[in-house]
Amino acid sequence: MLLQMKNITKHYGNVTANQAVNFDLGEGEVHALVGENGAGKTTLMRILYGMEQPSSGSVQVKGNNVSFDNPASAMASGIGMVHQHFMLFPSFTVAENIVIGREPTVGGVFDRNKAAALVEELGEKYGMPVDPWAVVSECPMGMQQRVEILKVLYQGADIIILDEPTGALTPLEVKELLVNIKSLALQGKSFIIITHKLHEVMEVSDRITVLRDGQVTGTLAASDTDVEQLSRLMVGRELVSIVKKDVEPGEAVLEVKGLGIRGPKGKALLKDIHLEVRAGEVVGIAGISGNGQSELIQAISGLRSIDEGKVQLSGVDIQGMDVRDIREQGLAHIPEDRYLWGAAKDATVLDNGLMGHHHKLKRRGLVKGKEARTKVTEWIKQFGIKAGTVDNNVQNLSGGNLQKLIAAREFAHDSHLLIAAEPTRGVDIGAMEIIHTELIRKRDAGVGVLLVSSELTEILQLSDRIVVMYEGEIAGEISAMDATEEKISLLMSGGNRQT
Amino acid sequence: MSIIKQSLRGLIQPLIAVIIGLIAGAIAILVVGGSVTETYMEMWKGAFGSFYFTTNTLARATPIILAGLGVALAFRAGFFNMGADGQMILGGLSAALTAIYLPGPGWLVLVVSIIAGIVTGGLWSFFAGWLDAKFGMNLLITTLLLNYIATLFAGYMVAYPFMDKTGSAAMAQSAMIDQSVWLPKLFQGMGLHAGFIIAIVAAVLLYFFMKKTVMGYEIRMLGNNPLFASYGGVKRGRMMMIAMLVSGGLAGLAGAGEVLGTQYRFLDGSMTSANYAWSGIMATLLANSHPIGTAVAAILLAALQTGAMGVERNTDVPLEVASVIQAVLTLFVSAKIGYAIWKRRKGKKTNGTTT
Amino acid sequence: MEQLLDAALFSSTLRVVTPILLAALGGAICSRVGLFNVALEGFVLVGAFSGIVGNYLFGNVWLAVLFAVLCVMLFSLIFGYLSINLNANPIVVGISLNFLATGMTTFLLRAIFNVKGAYYDNEMVGLPKWEIPLIKDIPWVGDVISGQSPLVYLAFILMFVLQFYLFKTVSGFRLRSVGENPVAAKSIGIKVRKHQYSAVLACGVLCGLAGAQLSLGQVTMFTEGMTAGRGFIALVATMLGQANPFGVMASSLLFGFMDAFGIRLQGLAIPSHFTQMLPYIVTLIAMFFFKDRSYMQDALKAGGSSR
Repeated sequence: MLLQMKNITKHYGNVTANQAVNFDLGEGEVHALVGENGAGKTTLMRILYGMEQPSSGSVQVKGNNVSFDNPASAMASGIGMVHQHFMLFPSFTVAENIVIGREPTVGGVFDRNKAAALVEELGEKYGMPVDPWAVVSECPMGMQQRVEILKVLYQGADIIILDEPTGALTPLEVKELLVNIKSLALQGKSFIIITHKLHEVMEVSDRITVLRDGQVTGTLAASDTDVEQLSRLMVGRELVSIVKKDVEPGEAVLEVKGLGIRGPKGKALLKDIHLEVRAGEVVGIAGISGNGQSELIQAISGLRSIDEGKVQLSGVDIQGMDVRDIREQGLAHIPEDRYLWGAAKDATVLDNGLMGHHHKLKRRGLVKGKEARTKVTEWIKQFGIKAGTVDNNVQNLSGGNLQKLIAAREFAHDSHLLIAAEPTRGVDIGAMEIIHTELIRKRDAGVGVLLVSSELTEILQLSDRIVVMYEGEIAGEISAMDATEEKISLLMSGGNRQT
Repeated sequence: MSIIKQSLRGLIQPLIAVIIGLIAGAIAILVVGGSVTETYMEMWKGAFGSFYFTTNTLARATPIILAGLGVALAFRAGFFNMGADGQMILGGLSAALTAIYLPGPGWLVLVVSIIAGIVTGGLWSFFAGWLDAKFGMNLLITTLLLNYIATLFAGYMVAYPFMDKTGSAAMAQSAMIDQSVWLPKLFQGMGLHAGFIIAIVAAVLLYFFMKKTVMGYEIRMLGNNPLFASYGGVKRGRMMMIAMLVSGGLAGLAGAGEVLGTQYRFLDGSMTSANYAWSGIMATLLANSHPIGTAVAAILLAALQTGAMGVERNTDVPLEVASVIQAVLTLFVSAKIGYAIWKRRKGKKTNGTTT
Repeated sequence: MEQLLDAALFSSTLRVVTPILLAALGGAICSRVGLFNVALEGFVLVGAFSGIVGNYLFGNVWLAVLFAVLCVMLFSLIFGYLSINLNANPIVVGISLNFLATGMTTFLLRAIFNVKGAYYDNEMVGLPKWEIPLIKDIPWVGDVISGQSPLVYLAFILMFVLQFYLFKTVSGFRLRSVGENPVAAKSIGIKVRKHQYSAVLACGVLCGLAGAQLSLGQVTMFTEGMTAGRGFIALVATMLGQANPFGVMASSLLFGFMDAFGIRLQGLAIPSHFTQMLPYIVTLIAMFFFKDRSYMQDALKAGGSSR
């Protein structure tokens, strides 16, 4: 075996992230590591890459015991990692990004021409051509992914760890990536792929190891298993199925007509968007993140000014209105990034829960402290948020609990429209189920829900209608009845545009 | 963690900071060949040794508290207002000119003068806030630059158009303010004036404002995470201008109080050389922008300064030793902020990072 | 007007621009590794003071310059330790260090020289004025360029060196990568802290030279707070020049020229208050035309990096 990890255990305080995990990898093999959020996949790989040290257990590469204190020593043993969030320098060129750390020089001076030639050659060799002089920030995500892999190859890696490699890619780019992985494996490179996308796993990997709650629940050859078995191993129980009431959608609560937004250099970020959300329906917006979804949400919620078109909330024009007025007009909003938009990290649970409600809990300019407390305490109970007291700092909450707090805060509004942007990103299954159930309950109660998610399963599970966004435009609309993963994927990558 | 333990820990940090500051001071004293115990004894006496010295210390603390409160408000909202010096000077200048040239009954002129000081300081600060909110000009730098412009402008005003021509010395200063417009002294023959009461009331009011009011809540959240605040409907530009207006207003009040309660005229350079505004910023940093804490820290800094004057009177150790102690104290406290962040990062890792 | 804009004005521009340029280059290196250095003012003040102390101790102006550089390097280590190792907010640290610089220099001025406010010794020899052969004979140019202190020439040489270092050498490339994306730099084994410390130390050297030029370059003296905001003007020059040495030089020259012009105007009937205001006003106007990154982007960056 090229690589063997034996009995790896990792504790963080009293949390056990990995419990006696065994994992191995052969030469030219593609071995997938699957599991839900929080199952311990990333921790295991951080240990292998020298970013964390195991509490106990051993790692062998080519039969030799190794222990890595830092990524550099892992790299020296031929291990490379492509992180989920790309580790690139946006203003540097492709070649600079690939050779950094091992730059070709002429008399101490960085030889950029040589670097470009080396990179070009490397790309040809592995069948992944790139333009070495292109600036990375201007490259599409698929190209950036390629740069990451070439960087690892340039560093001389034989074992390549890919952490959620397809999250930001279009379906077409995903296909290309999987082809690249297979051909590299044929050339003798070995891959570990961390993911929770089972279809991709089945397509590309030789073997699959499933983790649940830090423990291995199975290691299987891809030929002996199927998606159903894998998901059982991942989840360990039957998922609560979502039951939607038959509700006839009512009046339109959100109407977007001909919305357009231009970026700083006049580039169109949103073009001629028409969208309607009616009371009692969930409209799902699918698309690879970065195709205008953020701008759309910000435009509706008043965080961004509109260049063209109209937005109406319950029949009232809201363009030009500020965030507070729009909220009072009947908008609740679970933001796409809980740390960036959704919370103040150094403030208490109470303060975080108060946001958006603070004008409703006002008497002569003062906050009604007692009522606020009761309210937030109720949410904690209702949603099972592990928060200690309301005076606890939110930075002590786990991602899932913070997300539940944010969701509870927004559910508590008596709103006509609820925007739920990536409502379950990076949370455990328990929190996901609670949030999904509550979203549907809101819909059943006659609230219009605009769900924005890059997870197709989430979109398919919850939506009544699905709108696909591609490059700032609406690429198509499908009703839930007719929607299949294939149809949506095609629209997501810009193919078969319809209006 | 229990509440008692938490508040104990809250006390330990400033205490350690004070001790470190005193150790740095001791080193400085030894450098100039003084006796550490004798110097610190004299320092204590100079600050709180008698009723007179105590009131003297509190009188000095008055402008520091007010300027510090203004800065604390801005810091809490996330704005580095470094312009307290200029805001205070312009507040003092306009209070002095109003008090000298406005006719009317003394008490009325006094009130109008104080308001003039607040408004002038507030507008000068508001200008910087407006430049940032409207044109994206970095507030930290503009407020610093505006200090120099304010100082030079005030200097010009009392050196040319409003210079006191009655005095024999050709000092750059305004005429004397009529006695009927003076802020009353709290005790006969002592330096302490009614401005101190105003300062303490302001500290308590600001504390309740930040803690209990909706606007205080919005300001706190804005300082904590501006994106979160705007997502929740807080208007950053508007808040910035309000916060800067109030912040500068408090600094202007500090200047007005100093002119109407202590100096009774505007003397060029007197406020800058006394370092009131910068001491106020230090007090804010020491108290981590907590209003009551800022007032306490301001009294501590004033005590160091008046104490050091006592030291200079009675020993060979120069009074500048106080500035070393202050600076080390502030530096240590700012490092503590870092320590907290560092600990938090470690803490976060132990929560398990799986994304 | 022609009398105002004579060679002497440009010559004094070069003289007064030097401390600003040196400090701004220091600020540029720091910003290249992602540290916003508000302590430039304090750094230069310490440099100016230690220059005089070095001159007093060693009686040699070259050793004095060296001493100034060493002192500021030591001082800059505090900035480095607090903001790099302890992860303290660099702005708060910078403000506190400015206090420390003011406090220490006033105290030591008293302790060493037993004076308040200013120290001046007419027997102390300042930096020499170098006449550049050939150039000094060119009519107007010679009057402007020749006859400056060596630190003036050094400042401009260092500007070119820094430009070359940052954009041509491997080490400069890696240094920039640290400011561009520290997490990514760390992931490929680049020693982030080492580069940050080097940058802070280099900034210390540059600010030491800036201080020495200030206190030893023209009149050999030290006055309390003699930097008078030049460190902050340098900071603006760094921002305006987008931390590119050439850009930093251009903006520094603008401020230096205004500074010199203000000094020149003092001969006229205009009150000195207004002529002294000139550099600050020009700096403000320059900031007006330079659009700073919006708070949204800053917050995005801060939010992203702390996750």
